[in-house]
This record gives sequence, C-alpha cells and structure tokens, in this order.
Amino acid sequence: MTSTVIRKSSGHLASKKRQETLANILSIIALIILGLIVMFPIYWIFRSSLMSNGELYTYPPAFTPPQWRYSNYIETLKVFEYWKFLGNTMTILVPAVFGAVITATMGGYAFARLRFRGKKFLFVLCVGSMLLPSMVTLIPLFIMWAKLGMVNTYWPLILPHFCGGGAFNIFLIRQFVKTVPHELDEAATIDGCGYFRILVYIIVPAIKSAMIVVGLLKFIELWNDLLQQVTYITRRDQYTLALGLNIFKGSFNDDWSSIMCATCLSFIPGIVFYLIGQRYFVEGIVMTGMKN
Amino acid sequence: MIAKPMKKVIRYNRSETRTAWLCLFPSVIGLLCITYLPMLASFALSLFSWNGLGELKFIGLDNYIRLFTIDTKFYASLYNTLQYAGMSVIGSIIYSMAIALLLNRRIPARGFFRAVFYLPYVLPALAVYLGWKWLYDYNHGLFNYIVKLLGGTSIKFLDSSALVTPSLALIAVWLSGNLIVIFLAGLQNVPRTYHEAAEIDGANTWQRFWMITIPCMTPIIFYNLLMSLVSSLQVITPALSLTKGGPGTGSYYMCYMLYTQAFQSHKYGYGSAVAVVLFILIAIFTAILFATSKGWIFYEGDDKE
Repeated sequence: MTSTVIRKSSGHLASKKRQETLANILSIIALIILGLIVMFPIYWIFRSSLMSNGELYTYPPAFTPPQWRYSNYIETLKVFEYWKFLGNTMTILVPAVFGAVITATMGGYAFARLRFRGKKFLFVLCVGSMLLPSMVTLIPLFIMWAKLGMVNTYWPLILPHFCGGGAFNIFLIRQFVKTVPHELDEAATIDGCGYFRILVYIIVPAIKSAMIVVGLLKFIELWNDLLQQVTYITRRDQYTLALGLNIFKGSFNDDWSSIMCATCLSFIPGIVFYLIGQRYFVEGIVMTGMKN
Repeated sequence: MIAKPMKKVIRYNRSETRTAWLCLFPSVIGLLCITYLPMLASFALSLFSWNGLGELKFIGLDNYIRLFTIDTKFYASLYNTLQYAGMSVIGSIIYSMAIALLLNRRIPARGFFRAVFYLPYVLPALAVYLGWKWLYDYNHGLFNYIVKLLGGTSIKFLDSSALVTPSLALIAVWLSGNLIVIFLAGLQNVPRTYHEAAEIDGANTWQRFWMITIPCMTPIIFYNLLMSLVSSLQVITPALSLTKGGPGTGSYYMCYMLYTQAFQSHKYGYGSAVAVVLFILIAIFTAILFATSKGWIFYEGDDKE
C-alpha cells in the first residue's frame, strides 16, 4: 500500500519537474523573442548612425551597415556640440540629484523616526502630493521664477530638487529607515548622540543603498525631462543635450544619418549610468516593499 | 480612575521636535512653494485674463465657458488625451505584467533579460522620440518595410491624425520598463506557501495564476495603474518634441494645449483653465480607481502593521 503511494507521488513529482522545465524553456524562448523585438529599435537606430544617407534611402533597407562608417560620429561631433551640451546637462543634474538625495533622506528620517506634533498631517500632505498632477503647477511656477528673475538660468531646474526631492523619494527613504533596528539609535542615544547625529552616523550608513536608489531615480527623471528645460532655457549657450538635439534635428532635417549619430551619442550616458547602478535599482525597488 | 488612561497626553521631546522640523524644512518648503500653493494659484489664475505683462483682469468663469463652448480644439485635446492614456496604460500594464511573469520563473540570465527590458526607460525621451520617428518614417522606416514585406501598403504612422496617437502610445508601452521592475518586485513577494498549499489541493498552473498570483498582485496592479494613468494623462513630451500637436489636431493633448496657450500665445489665464480641467479629470479618474479598489484589491490581513 504505502510503496504504491510513494511510487505514485514520485512519478507525479517527476512529471511536475518535467512540466516546469518545459515551461521554463518556453519562457526563455518567449523572453528572447520579446527581448529582440524590444532591442531592435535601438539596434536599428545604431545601425542607421553608421550608414551614409545614400545607404539609408535605398530599398530594401540593409540590416547591417554595408560599411561601418564610424567617421559619421567624428563628422557629427564637429557640428553637434555634444560635450558642451552634456556638460550643461550635468551642471543641472549633479546638484539636483545631490539636493534630492540629501533632503529626501532628511525628510524620510524625520517621518520614520522622530515624533512631533503635526507629523500625521504633514505625512498625508506629502503622500497626497504624489497624486497631484505636476503639470497643473507649471504656469504659476513659471510666473514665480520669472518674477524672481531666474528664467534663463539653471536655478528653476535645480532648486526645486533641494526641496525634499519629491514625495515618492521621501516615502522610499522612510520605508528604508523603518527597517533599521531601533536598538542602534538607542545605543547611540545612550552614548550621547543627538537626533541629528543619529541620522548622520547611524541611519545614513545603514540606508546608503536607498540613497543611491533615490539618486538614480532622480537622475533618470531629470535625464528624461524635456518640458522643464524647454520652459526655462532659451539661450543657446545654455542648451542641454535634449534641447541641443531638438535644435540639431531642426537644422539637419533630412540628414537622418547625422541625426541618428546624435541620438546614439545622447543614449550613451544613460546606458552607462544604468549599467553602473543596475544592482541598486532592482535591490532598491524590491526592498521598498510596495506592500506597506 | 477609568478616565485617566484615556486622556493620553503625548509629550513631545523638544529637541526631537526641533530636529524633525529642521529635517523637514526643505520638504515643507517644497510642498508649499512648488506643490500646493502653485496648485491654488492655478485655480485662481484660471479666473483671470492675463498676457504675462499687462494687468490681471478678473473675468470669472469666462475662460471655462470659452473652453467648453467655443474652443473646438479643446474637445479634440480631451479626446486625444483620453485615447492616449487608455491605450498606453492598458498596453503597458499588460506588456509589463507579461514580461514580469516570464522573468519571475527560475531561469538563467534573469538579470540580463531584466536589463534588456528596462533599458528603453533610461534613454533620454527626446532621443527616443527622434529614433522612433525614423523607425516610423513613411518611405524609409523599418516598420513600413515590415508592412511592405507582409504585403501591405505603407502606413502614415505619425503623419496621419488618426494614427499618430496610437503610434505614440506604442512608444509609451516600449518605454514602460519601470513597471516591469515594480511588478517583478511584487511577484517576488507573493508567498510561496500559498502556491504550495494550492498545489497540494490539486490546483493547476492556470488556476494558481488566477486564484493566487493575480489576487496577491492586485495592490501592485492598482499602484501601477494609478501612477501610469496619472502620468499618461499628462502626456506632453512626444507632442512637444515630435509632432507639435499635429497632424491636424491628432496629437493635440491637454498638456500641450496648456503649454502652447501659456507660453506661445501668452494666455496664462486660459492655459490655467486647461490645467484646472486636467486636474479635475485626473481627480475623477483617481476617485473612480479608489472607489472601486475595495472591490478588487486583496490585502493580506495578517501582513499589515
């Protein structure tokens, strides 16, 4: 009796195993096909950047460049002020990301650890602002910066990020601070640490990875931004990569080879940044614990 | 004696309070000066006529009356925005959920595949749209080449007012790598024990998917749905960078209308009225989502704080 049951269940188990392996193989095949589809536009853009316009306009299109014209990049860099635009972009991004990380950490710490009057109300205001459409503030903010005489400077693009770095980031830091054991703070308090020193010496080292996540998310958000830059920057010498590319497209209307070169060039920093920070991204989002 | 414990007086430590406000000072400034006050200012400004230089002229609800009765482009923008949001939200939720489910299996090179699907999200928006414009090109684009290979005739993707919004929504789906990562994080939180218990009870993969995975994922589906809806109703970048609202009014979205009315026509009051309508539209959608959420969101009772 018992032996048949065991044999039966082990046979069942083996078929389960086989089923799962089959499902995994099918998943991998599906992922490879979908991955190729998703990557193909990027490949196509890259391959177009290595071809001459004559080659681009032939039919049927070639799937690999007939000649790998790397010189296209040299030619494009002569007319597309890549390094200057990249420098301008970084002039905005670096301080903005820095400000967001610092102020979000401070805010998240206060919400997670400190007790004070009005905390609940403030927290509701903060989380509630996540749902408010930021487009609605565009016009009044523009008027505000114009009154302050700061249009055509980078300040409107940098300073807002020194104000907590956005509700989501404060929330994210708060979730992380909550996972730091209270015993650490208490030990520090006994040793005579004030609340601010606890933040600096206990909390910050413990949530470093969350701070990196906030930095990366902020970087991508600003990296993807066009609207704010279009709104506040009109002088050509202040152009960022996005604005520069926009102008470049306008002046090289049908020169798709050069436009694709410039496009690829502006892909690079984001990709590099992502490859460096990838580990933190996933870790961070998993650890945010969307459940709470 | 009985009343005493009920009168719970919380004594706040003064240095703790001081540190808290110090730490929150930047955030409070941000909430006030770049979120809530400008939002109120938008409401106020929508009742005025102002060209940015002259005097503010109070005109009551005239901006709204004009918006709803005279300006036919407004209805076009409303329709386009809803169409774009509907298509891109549904498309990206299904796409990213499917990819996340595939990635959640015990397979090799998961990190690599995750990177592949996330990659479009880290590319700068304008460059992405430029690249896709070339892919969508009528004569020499990749997509029309494929269409012709399959025996069709060339399609005007971005150059026809009927197809421009679906074409742009497709790009939004392609860009939705961040949703995949969030879904994946959620899937990894689905308790393994539930699946094991169901398996012992004889549930097959399909049943387990519908009875366990999906219910456990509903809070995350809700979060992604809400966030992507709010952001896609605010679509402006593709119109700003690529299509300029056209062809015709094909990609004339509410935010693009807001932007052009304010910064190109210098009708700040009128632009603000569009902003307020957008705000109300988003509020309605958010309210509907929250109102229905009790019916379809499953919360694990014991996991709550």
